[in-house]
Amino acid sequence: MLNIGEKLFKWIIKLLTFLSILLLAFIVIFIFNESFVFFKEVPIWKFIMGRSWNPLGPAENLSIFPIILGTIYVSIVGICISLPLGVGIAVILSTYTKDRVKSFIRGIIDVLAGIPSVVYGFIGLLVVVKFFEVRFSFAAGESVLAGGIVLSVMVLPFIVSTCAESMDKIYEEYSQASQALGVSKSYMIRNIILPASKRSIIASLVLALGRGMGETMATMMVIGNAPIMPKLFGKTQTIPSLIALEMGMAEVGSLHYHGLFAAGFVLMIMLLLVNVLIYFIKAKMDI
Amino acid sequence: MLERIKDYLFKTWLIMSALIVVLVVVFLFGYIFINGIGSIDKEFLLSEPKGIPIGIEGGIFPAIIGSLLLMLIACVFSSILAISTAIYVVFYCKSERIKSFIHLIIQCMSGVPSIVLGLFGYALLVLYLGFGRSLLSGGITLGIFIFPFIQIRVEKTLKEVDKSIITSSYALGVSEVYTLFKIILPICRADIISAITLAGGFAMGAASPIILTAAVMFAPVPESLFSPVMALPFHLYILTGEGISLEKAYGTALVLMLLLLVINIISIILNIKRKESR
Repeated sequence: MLNIGEKLFKWIIKLLTFLSILLLAFIVIFIFNESFVFFKEVPIWKFIMGRSWNPLGPAENLSIFPIILGTIYVSIVGICISLPLGVGIAVILSTYTKDRVKSFIRGIIDVLAGIPSVVYGFIGLLVVVKFFEVRFSFAAGESVLAGGIVLSVMVLPFIVSTCAESMDKIYEEYSQASQALGVSKSYMIRNIILPASKRSIIASLVLALGRGMGETMATMMVIGNAPIMPKLFGKTQTIPSLIALEMGMAEVGSLHYHGLFAAGFVLMIMLLLVNVLIYFIKAKMDI
Repeated sequence: MLERIKDYLFKTWLIMSALIVVLVVVFLFGYIFINGIGSIDKEFLLSEPKGIPIGIEGGIFPAIIGSLLLMLIACVFSSILAISTAIYVVFYCKSERIKSFIHLIIQCMSGVPSIVLGLFGYALLVLYLGFGRSLLSGGITLGIFIFPFIQIRVEKTLKEVDKSIITSSYALGVSEVYTLFKIILPICRADIISAITLAGGFAMGAASPIILTAAVMFAPVPESLFSPVMALPFHLYILTGEGISLEKAYGTALVLMLLLLVINIISIILNIKRKESR
């Protein structure tokens, strides 16, 4: 009797695990299925390389090259701002601080990670965008730069936690030896710890790129959403914001509807590649 | 001399980065708090949105309840799947290959952007299965959104359980399931609940998965799983995006942040308790 219960439990666990693994396949298949209709009309390279997005025109007018560029551009601007800050904080966390201050800074970083993206977008719209409009008298403050600034705060926690983790280990490994040699702390960090944690810095960079490219609400509220070639101070559009904005208007089953799924499909494939990359970088780091 | 300049520049960089981050956090909270505190009163918290366009007057009661319900459904759905997967990986799975395959899948799932999850929920749950824009569709989509987070945390806790306890329990002839439920899970309980509450906080703040699957501009407090709901993040987005009422938007943002703060504090308290009990 007891044995049956054991086996049953094991099977339930196996079944549920199988289901959770299947979820990803489900997502990929469903998105692909919905965008397949579109790719039959417009070949995929034309969709990716074309330069106009006009849902009302013929099928050839639906293409997302500027939008893909915008997605990547905003993330890269965000990372460029965030990386120096994040690595700096990680160094402070793992070398210069002890218990109290450490957990205080960690707490602050956790708080940043917990703020919802829509709140970031809200503050970005009211502070960053307005700042550009008032200070530099732009016609419209919504720009790639504004998106990058908002994103930089959002991806900071990921950069800090990924870098600090490996810097902790490296510091423990070398601190005694270098102290015994009388090397100053800052010299040691600059010449040993930073070079040694190159790989984790790259890992954090890729992770932040993935986060930034998939971010919807925060970027959507500050970039102006115009599907044109992105410029640093000009409006732009990202794939997530395109989907979030237009899905509600698109008639179910229309070409526009399937085109949006196709955009989602392209985004998903890009991010799956990024995450496979992260997985392998992490796997190598552990050895 | 050069070394001294380098040293100086390096330290300036570190101090600046810490200073900037602390200032940003203080500013974020201060900004929301100072601007939002004025619009919060009893009426704002406990009444429905009113006026034309809707939301310009009245309160956000249905949105608060809607957000809490969405969070609840997401947590239930995703913790069942996530805890089972974690148990499987730690206790039942013998092959390293399958383990790393599951890890790869979970890494990929955590990378699927939330808006694509929204699309998936829209295509499968809302249209294909015919749930419509509803509490259930949104809850499940959010559940998928937080699944990787809970799974990774729970797996980590399960792995940290002292192996000797498990082997001695097996050596005494205690069955696997009994060991799991009476020994391992009680040890990890606080940790698991803390992971779930944290994930619940993420689910509550996420707007993009529910934009297509659950949230609407106005709905009363939902009566069944299949009725559409209001949610705080979506309400905030509508209030600012459509330029309806900035004052109410500040209030909504503050309420959302305060709810998340409460959830985080619960999770932190659980963590402290666990440390004391060990």
